[in-house]
Amino acid sequence: MPLVKRNIDPRHLCHTALPRGIKNELECVTNISLANIIRQLSSLSKYAEDIFGELFNEAHSFSFRVNSLQERVDRLSVSVTQLDPKEEELSLQDITMRKAFRSSTIQDQQLFDRKTLPIPLQETYDVCEQPPPLNILTPYRDDGKEGLKFYTNPSYFFDLWKEKMLQDTEDKRKEKRKQKKNLDRPHEPEKVPRAPHDRRREWQKLAQGPELAEDDANLLHKHIEVANGPASHFETRPQTYVDHMDGSYSLSALPFSQMSELLTRAEERVLVRPHEPPPPPPMHGVGDAKPIPTCISSATGLIENRPQSPATGRTPVFVSPTPPPPPPPLPSALSTSSLRASMTSTPPPPVPPPPPPPTTALQAPAVPPPPAPLQIAPGVLHPAPPPIAPPLVQPSPPVARAAPVCETVPVHPLPQGEVQGLPPPPPPPPLPPPGIRPSSPVTVAALTHPPSGLHPAPSTAPGPHVPLMPPSPPSQVIPASEPKRHPSTLPVISDARSVLLEAIRKGIQLRKVEEQREQEAKHERIENDVATILSRRIAVEYSDSEDDSEFDEVDWLE
Amino acid sequence: MAGQEDPVQREIHQDWANREYIEVITSSIKKIADFLNSFDMSCRSRLATLNEKLTALERRIEYIEARVSMSGKVLPHEARQGLCRENARFHVLLKQTWKR
Repeated sequence: MPLVKRNIDPRHLCHTALPRGIKNELECVTNISLANIIRQLSSLSKYAEDIFGELFNEAHSFSFRVNSLQERVDRLSVSVTQLDPKEEELSLQDITMRKAFRSSTIQDQQLFDRKTLPIPLQETYDVCEQPPPLNILTPYRDDGKEGLKFYTNPSYFFDLWKEKMLQDTEDKRKEKRKQKKNLDRPHEPEKVPRAPHDRRREWQKLAQGPELAEDDANLLHKHIEVANGPASHFETRPQTYVDHMDGSYSLSALPFSQMSELLTRAEERVLVRPHEPPPPPPMHGVGDAKPIPTCISSATGLIENRPQSPATGRTPVFVSPTPPPPPPPLPSALSTSSLRASMTSTPPPPVPPPPPPPTTALQAPAVPPPPAPLQIAPGVLHPAPPPIAPPLVQPSPPVARAAPVCETVPVHPLPQGEVQGLPPPPPPPPLPPPGIRPSSPVTVAALTHPPSGLHPAPSTAPGPHVPLMPPSPPSQVIPASEPKRHPSTLPVISDARSVLLEAIRKGIQLRKVEEQREQEAKHERIENDVATILSRRIAVEYSDSEDDSEFDEVDWLE
Repeated sequence: MAGQEDPVQREIHQDWANREYIEVITSSIKKIADFLNSFDMSCRSRLATLNEKLTALERRIEYIEARVSMSGKVLPHEARQGLCRENARFHVLLKQTWKR
């Protein structure tokens, strides 16, 4: 139905009440009709003038454009004729070097805005009744919104769409970054751990060749290729270990020697992993590369709590590569959640931006307690399979698989605390309030056992781990219970690594803040030119290309 | 009766005459309004096509300018050809618009 743009004012000629006391009514009606006709003619002339004015304005703008076009054509013709004598010079280089041609097309946007309302319609709008003056209540509002927005908000749908577009573009960019990182990562971590592991791996292979294969097959759920088939008397030993793991779910129950062997084997397995050509699922390979160093660190941390002899000797080697890669921000982000347990097994994966972790944190709270821990041996390897990019939900099932292998409730706080203090666990600050960790009393009680086992082997731990050893046992509960404080407790450890870690974490946090500020600035800038930027963002979405930077440049130009 | 009819009849006749007069005027007003609407619509459609052609011309000229300036002297022959085409189109467009 067409909208009436101009209404001639005296709608009816003679629908008026006749004044009283008139003898000749017919004449009266005639005169009234004639008067109304004159009024109608006046309004008609007004609208006619308006119509011609609009048409004239449009034609006038076109005339400007035509004149400018004419000038450009003349100039071009002149320049072209001048160019003739100078033939091609450096043509190839120019073609490749010069900036690509970008046409400045102005798209029509905001067509039905209040500013583009034609005058006659504006007059019709003015005649209408105004909405209730709810804006007088605006100064009394707490949230700063206009009062009238709750009654009628003409820009509501546009704002909704704008937010959705911005969100979609951000999501797409993050996905692209993830994909880039996924593609990049498999190469980087593979290089780092390979060099130092080779020797040990060879030695271990020589020492326990068949055992390694056996353990792999059993503990890794046959994910890892069995180097050598099961063989020799060594089988019984690994078998018993496996049985212990499966049955008791408590590493503390195992004798010290067994535990140390388990740890060593776990490390060996970890070492073996990177050497395997990225297993069929590249994700696994990726997951292996990165989680391995961190797993090793967690393993080292665990080693501190428990007896560890040979393992500790290796820990310093492994710990060094870990600080750089691991994503500290994730642990800090997750520290507040109870997911630390799962986090310990997947510190490297933290790569996935914070949003996935919180969601996964919500999903996997049930899983954490059992799997989290340690599972030094199996746990170390299991984080490998879960791909880095995917949210922690994936890690949780593999971690769950590891859980049945070995679980210790008392171990919970240990790995958590250790992971947070990635290099060695922070020394025991005062016990945090019990409310934080309901399991803390249990852990405290359970820790009495490990400390006894730890003491015999503190001497074996070289380097930075030694100082941590003695204070560690009682403090293990503390680090677990105060994950939130871990960034502040880190400096207590006077290790260069901790300082470096802190710097890394701060840097990442700073980067986040900067990103946020940039986004906010962008949002402010955007408001004036929303539609064009939004339409371009749609193009980014649907094109799925990496033109983000280009679009940003265009935004700057616009 | 005849005396009564005359003035009344005269009045009625006069009234009918007046109404016819008013009717003529109002119908002509309606014709004017109708003409204004149709004129507005046709003018807008022509201006829109003109706008389209102008924007197409502008884009082509931009492209040619880019080719001529950035690529330097590459294919001046082609640039000239393009320019001639654009020039011809431009003049045709001008003639068309100002004819009407």
